[in-house]
Amino acid sequence: MDVQNQSELLDKIRNNLKRVLDPELNLNVVDLGLIYDLSLVEERVAKITMTLTTPGCPLHDSIVSGVKYCVEEMEEIYRAEVQLVWEPAWSPDKMTEDGLRALGRL
Amino acid sequence: MFMTPQTMGSETNIKLPFSFILFSILAIIVSQLLFLFHGEALINGQFRIPAIWSAAHLFILGWALMIAMGAMYQLVPVAFLTAIWNEKFGFIQFAVTGLGVTSFAITLYVAPHLALIPGLLMLLGILMFLFQMGMTLRKQTKPNILTLFVGTALICLFLTILLGITLVISMKTGFAGEFYPIIFKSHLLLGTAGWFTLLIFGFSYKMAPMFSLSHGYEMKVAKYVYGSYVAGLVFIIASFFLNQGNLQKVGFLLLLIGFSCFLWHIVTIIKKRIKKKLDRPFSFALLAILFGEIIHLLAFIAVMTNHFSSLVGPLMVACLMLWIALSIIGYLYKIVPFLWWTHKYSKIIGKADVPTMKDMINEKLALPLFIGFILGIGIVAFGLVWKVGLLFYIGQITVTIASIVFGMAILAVMKK
Repeated sequence: MDVQNQSELLDKIRNNLKRVLDPELNLNVVDLGLIYDLSLVEERVAKITMTLTTPGCPLHDSIVSGVKYCVEEMEEIYRAEVQLVWEPAWSPDKMTEDGLRALGRL
Repeated sequence: MFMTPQTMGSETNIKLPFSFILFSILAIIVSQLLFLFHGEALINGQFRIPAIWSAAHLFILGWALMIAMGAMYQLVPVAFLTAIWNEKFGFIQFAVTGLGVTSFAITLYVAPHLALIPGLLMLLGILMFLFQMGMTLRKQTKPNILTLFVGTALICLFLTILLGITLVISMKTGFAGEFYPIIFKSHLLLGTAGWFTLLIFGFSYKMAPMFSLSHGYEMKVAKYVYGSYVAGLVFIIASFFLNQGNLQKVGFLLLLIGFSCFLWHIVTIIKKRIKKKLDRPFSFALLAILFGEIIHLLAFIAVMTNHFSSLVGPLMVACLMLWIALSIIGYLYKIVPFLWWTHKYSKIIGKADVPTMKDMINEKLALPLFIGFILGIGIVAFGLVWKVGLLFYIGQITVTIASIVFGMAILAVMKK
């Protein structure tokens, strides 16, 4: 896959991930700044590095598996590897403008 | 980057917390009805009669304690990142405690002199809970200040129950009869200020930032809250045993300082929030802290002006209802939808559209419900202070209706 196609696919994955909402905040994981990195490690294999707003978040498994399902249901992707990290810790400056606006901060 | 396994495996089987919560809904409704039917005694200042004992224990043990236990089965894994030690043991503990509380409340009502055996069954249930929590907290890899708050609260619960059973034995056999008033006062103090207050402090430190999405706040103040409040408890209990009025004054001052530090600390945490508009139920849980502060201030003033013994009844009612119960109801209004949502929708998030937490419970109902509850309690308290029956009944009917509506709102979540 050439670089341009790869970049388009990653954008498509990022957009698709906006369907995964934190049900408490009613805000998607992308605008909340939980997705740290997206890459294609192999042909049709995506790797998502992400965090949660707080360790021990009760929605831990729901959000992580939601991210996995959401990417794996794309026809261009066969497998999604989700890596959950706590460092660097999530902070509000990782949120997008849309995210901050949704929480009344812009 | 620091990684964790993909699954923490710390989620609790939803049936466990829900068993406690459903039991507690029945208990609050029955207890409020009992208070209503025995209003005459309360208005005349007769708090220590079998029917009121029964109602009070059904409310405190059947409702508040059972809810606290159910909530802890859900919150301990969240706050301490460790799974419950043994879920099966949890279900047995629920059955034993539920049976113990029910039979204890019934026996207190019909034959208080026989309350020892159901009391021991209840004691066994609570000891099983303490054992469960002890084993769970032991697994925590990095204990923190929250562990200290919750751990001390659990010790206070143990002492409260131990003193309570001593009271029942004393009543039956005359054992330690000369210490009865001291044990009784220590039992009340450790139950309300020791167990419930320290528990709410501890979990508020986890839930307040979580529900407001606060970030970048300091936790240093928490140790002063802990130190001052626990020292206050020790001083007051010492004052009971040594019959030293000055120690009691120092103790109540320390409680007030500890509580004020907690209030100030929570305000600083909330100021650092990202979520601008707070949910109503959570706002009421925060309002409960303000009520708690006022109650602690009034208690201190009452002690300093030697009016405490005449005001202790209304102050206890206010503390139980406006601080403890309002905190519990406020947080429960958030926790129950969370539990049910996780049970029903966590597997399909990302696959299909799922409701938000706000869709799970009637939030519009929260405002009239909480206001009704607060007003009802206020009217009951004034009715008791001024000994006006009409005020008491208006307030108590309001609280009873609010309890029924609250129970129905919680049950309605399970239809979503």
